[in-house]
Amino acid sequence: MEENATMSVAEDVASEAIVAPEAVAVAEEAVPQKKKRKPINQQKLQDNLWGWAFCLPLIIGTVWFVYAALIMAFLLSFTDYTVGNSVPLMEYLFTMGKHIATNMDTGARDAGYWYKFVFTHTVRNTFAEITYNEMGYHLFNTVFYMIGIPIGMILSMFFAVCMSRDIKGGNVFRVLYYLPCVASSISIIYTFRIMFKETGVINQMLGLATEDGGFRWIDQGATTAQTWGSLLGKDSTNEFMRNPYWCQGIFTKLVIIIMSVWKGLGGTIILYVAGLSGVNAATKEAAQIDGANGWQIFWKVTMPDLYPVIFYNIVTSVIGGMQIYAEPVLMQGESWLTSGYVSLIWRYGINGDLGQPYASLGTAYGMVLAVMIFVLTLFQFWLDSRNKD
Amino acid sequence: MEEMENMQVVEPVEEVDLTPGSASKEQIIKHYSPFRYGVGAVLAFFGFSSKTHRASKKRAKLVMDIATYVILLFGTFIMVYPFWWMIAGSFAFTGQSGTTDMFNELVWWPSSMTTQNGVGLFYNYQWLFTSGFKGGSNGMPKGYSYWRAILNNLIYSIVPVVVGVITSASAAFSFAKIQWIGRNQVFFFLLAAIMVPGPSIMVTQYVMYDQMNWRTNGLALIIPGLFGSIMTAFFIRQFLFGLPTSIVEAAKIDGAGYFRIFCGFILPLAMPAIMAQGLLSFMGCWNNYMGSFIMVPQSSPWINLPHAMYVLANVNTENQAPIIAASVLCVLPVLILFAAFQKLIIGSLMLTGSKE
Repeated sequence: MEENATMSVAEDVASEAIVAPEAVAVAEEAVPQKKKRKPINQQKLQDNLWGWAFCLPLIIGTVWFVYAALIMAFLLSFTDYTVGNSVPLMEYLFTMGKHIATNMDTGARDAGYWYKFVFTHTVRNTFAEITYNEMGYHLFNTVFYMIGIPIGMILSMFFAVCMSRDIKGGNVFRVLYYLPCVASSISIIYTFRIMFKETGVINQMLGLATEDGGFRWIDQGATTAQTWGSLLGKDSTNEFMRNPYWCQGIFTKLVIIIMSVWKGLGGTIILYVAGLSGVNAATKEAAQIDGANGWQIFWKVTMPDLYPVIFYNIVTSVIGGMQIYAEPVLMQGESWLTSGYVSLIWRYGINGDLGQPYASLGTAYGMVLAVMIFVLTLFQFWLDSRNKD
Repeated sequence: MEEMENMQVVEPVEEVDLTPGSASKEQIIKHYSPFRYGVGAVLAFFGFSSKTHRASKKRAKLVMDIATYVILLFGTFIMVYPFWWMIAGSFAFTGQSGTTDMFNELVWWPSSMTTQNGVGLFYNYQWLFTSGFKGGSNGMPKGYSYWRAILNNLIYSIVPVVVGVITSASAAFSFAKIQWIGRNQVFFFLLAAIMVPGPSIMVTQYVMYDQMNWRTNGLALIIPGLFGSIMTAFFIRQFLFGLPTSIVEAAKIDGAGYFRIFCGFILPLAMPAIMAQGLLSFMGCWNNYMGSFIMVPQSSPWINLPHAMYVLANVNTENQAPIIAASVLCVLPVLILFAAFQKLIIGSLMLTGSKE
């Protein structure tokens, strides 16, 4: 067979040479003139040209919209640029040296001003009667939502193991569980928001709906805190208990965690089902013959094989979890008790909550976020490498 | 003393082989207790072996299968119920000035349906078409309508996805099948871009699009997608590695240029991967709320359907049944698409081991 193939290839080459004698002649004429120079392999040149040509759009897109944007964000974070600035962005960055130290607005800002602002900006809340560090609270919210990651992983592992059993219709379940993943998140959020209303279906099912309302899962008003304040004791000497402003956010966060777990379950299940189908069946059987029970096989054989999948899932979930934005904002609007860190970028960088949309402040927040995500990812890889030793 | 005697009496019995198969019922009851024997019988019925009974493997499997189905069906109920609620809620009647607790009794079906209030069954949907999304009212931008929302969504999700998947596929072809200097370095340089979190570069992108005037004519959501995405290219590249390189070489020897090889061989052969990635990107773009919310100003008729839903829900806080109807209309096309291509999509997800 191989001989035949090479033969036919050789024939093809020969026939082509016969078909185009003129081209060969031209090529031969051209060759002696170029001989003094370094000979160029035409095929390799073609490969290199076409190779670059084919991935040029992707390279341009990535460099332009990601790397250039990143570098510009980094540079901008040391300046004082606003979104509506009359100086175009590129021109501003090329003359950046002028803008770093001296400032157009107040004259009091130095290069690290926005970074100091990010870490030290405090806000006075009149209702809760506290002054809080804004970045700290938003980071706390972001991390709080990550409770959903282990919950989702355990649940999806459980369902994936169920689906991997030798039963009929396992594929149908896989599709049905994946439905929430393809649904528009804004539709899901609005549906959940009404389902978790005081008189909504969840309170009906749990028996928490009453004549004059019901349990407030989602509420940005002061009522929840007041209800909880009376519950926890108004006479308490502990400020934290007497004025439980923090209660306002807890249940909204809980609803958002439930929703995120519900929405993300299907994707993780598919990941795990794919992983489970790749587990070595022979090892499993050997363990079974050696007298291991199902539980032991799962922990000693299946889990080590699944480890790369689980690790990948944790890394991507943490990266995604750090960037949570739309869910809390759509569920109850911007609030210091529920919003994630990214909403600070939106509020100060684009929306202009400080009076003007300070693009520089937004990029400073973004740079801090990028560093945090990078460090977290590195930390996980470090844990992973330690685990392997 | 008595206890000692008893133990001495029992001890000889211990030497009898008590494994469930070989010992008689009397022997087992005598050694253990009738109660334990009964418990063992019940356990064996449910497929669990104990010291008194050995359950048959068939029974064990049957019981486990039933348990699996019960668990999976319960999970399916939780996964599907909100969708059912959405559909049922879109037929609830809240009127133009309805009360906020209009979904009061809605567990399975709304207590106050549209037809019971003298309007048609699809009243909420009609309201969306006639006045809900109408430009100028409900906070909608001028010149807006429901069809405009659908058209915008289609433009945003077809143009960048079709072009982007082809550019991604061409890059994947270049990385997988053409030998050029530095291709691995370039590939990892591009792959490293997925490490950059989107929100970090959000503000610069906003300023860039703003100064190029892409925000008010929808280009901000179209042009970046045309250049392809590195993840799509990555997955298609993985797929192309599975194809024999000899196809490309044979075609080259036959005199086909790389462009012809790409159009004539690679695109048709990699179609399953391209289709799957394209469908997933389509769904992502159709549901892209963040892009429109951040990049497109609310006064522009280029806002997409999810963004328009957000505007409508903020203005129309009392009468929320039409918003649920809009949710259904937003979810339905994607669900239909997913149902039609679920084998391809799930297969691709299983193969690539990605979540999106």
